[in-house]
Amino acid sequence: MKLDFSRWQLAVGMLVLVVAPSFALAQGVIAGAGTGPPLTVIAPPQQFASSEQHYQFLLEQAKGGTKHTLTSVPRWDGLWVTAGNTHMDAFVEGGNFKGKVREGVLTPAYETAFKERWRQQTEEGQVHYDRLGHCEPPGLPRFLLEPYSHEFINLPTESYLINDFGPSIRRVLIGKQHSNLYGTHSWYGDTIGFWDADKLVLNTKYLYPADFTRWSPMTSNQFETLEIWQLKKYADGIERIEVQATFYDKFAFVKPVSAVYSFRRAVELEKADYRVNHWECDQTSNAYLDDKGNTNFHLPGEAGFNDGRGSTMFPELPGQTRDPIYNTTLPTVPNAAQPTNSNKGVTP
Amino acid sequence: MKKLISSLSFVAAAAMLTASVAQAHHSFSMFDGKTQLVKTGTVVRWAFNNPHSWLYLNVKNEDGTLTLWSFEGSSPTGLIQRGITGDTFKPGAAVTFMYCPLRDGRPGGAIGWVKLDDGKSLNPADGGCNGNAEPKEPLK
Repeated sequence: MKLDFSRWQLAVGMLVLVVAPSFALAQGVIAGAGTGPPLTVIAPPQQFASSEQHYQFLLEQAKGGTKHTLTSVPRWDGLWVTAGNTHMDAFVEGGNFKGKVREGVLTPAYETAFKERWRQQTEEGQVHYDRLGHCEPPGLPRFLLEPYSHEFINLPTESYLINDFGPSIRRVLIGKQHSNLYGTHSWYGDTIGFWDADKLVLNTKYLYPADFTRWSPMTSNQFETLEIWQLKKYADGIERIEVQATFYDKFAFVKPVSAVYSFRRAVELEKADYRVNHWECDQTSNAYLDDKGNTNFHLPGEAGFNDGRGSTMFPELPGQTRDPIYNTTLPTVPNAAQPTNSNKGVTP
Repeated sequence: MKKLISSLSFVAAAAMLTASVAQAHHSFSMFDGKTQLVKTGTVVRWAFNNPHSWLYLNVKNEDGTLTLWSFEGSSPTGLIQRGITGDTFKPGAAVTFMYCPLRDGRPGGAIGWVKLDDGKSLNPADGGCNGNAEPKEPLK
């Protein structure tokens, strides 16, 4: 059998392999390549003791904030995807996978934990396990760099920052004070905000412990954010939402950490008429933590396998398959105790 | 010149996708990303699902029996940007494919590239395997 890839395609493919990693790592961008000019962190005007103090300072600078109406509120309609960030610059020298962990940025306990993650990533090529593998939501700050598709809906008194991962929805209350009626923390916490002309300034508190991403530092239940979101337009029609963020965490950071994240308009998805669907990781992911502490998968026929396109719990009724188009059946062994290698072939 | 511009656009798009898919939802430590194997098989199911897609294939063994193999691919949002959709791999279709195997030897892995019977080549890979790798002949 002869595969007929052209030399041109092969050359382009090879070039991609050479170029892609360096392109992706430029500007300290480890998660998603940049679009538009390099991302530059804008540090806070002064050091603040807390995210709330930072927020109040900016609110006073903005004289209480801009009161937008339905016709004046900035519109960020459409679909967006992540387009790079600088968060690793804060934690790793050079901000790329060849760098060493910066000393003294994280508190000793968090620095030790991060060094082990970084060792796994840089020496073994992958961290052993990612908490998202058992379907935890990204949470904050990870929401800011997770892929999949995003929608940002602005109203005069509320904004909705949506990632279809999970899905994850951050609800921003404009002009409100923090509230915590549940008396506990959550994946996306409580976010208040105000508009300063076309900039949306956010303050988020009451968050679960999480992480920046799987090869990045972990965060504590005292992690808080101050974020400034703004849509910027560049030459050649590039639209980029830039998020200047300062993170506060008295357990994890020696002092606040700043980074810039970005989202670009997902023109390819819009052209394909893509729609954001509700999906749940629990029903479609087969990743799990194995007894060696590594990420592994349940395969069809093994105990624990989730068949996201199989039947509902009422298979005796017609029309209960979740894949009405192809209606293929994969083998299942509901009571099997251990993973098996004996996956017999099946007829579609 | 037009071809060059088109290919450079492809390079930029592929670079962005390579970076974004590598960010995906879990660690790829279960795959041997340095081993790239090529086989032929028949599509049983193409699960174009989040957080990752899965391509299930019947692969004929030396003794003539079939084994169901499972291969993880990128997320739908990543794949749509590469022109791959929910009906790209139809049940019953014959394909040649490259994959990076599961380290524990079970019949599965991370998908690399897939070549359809009509000669069209596709890259449904996520960060676990290199979908842009050079094509090779199937294993005997």
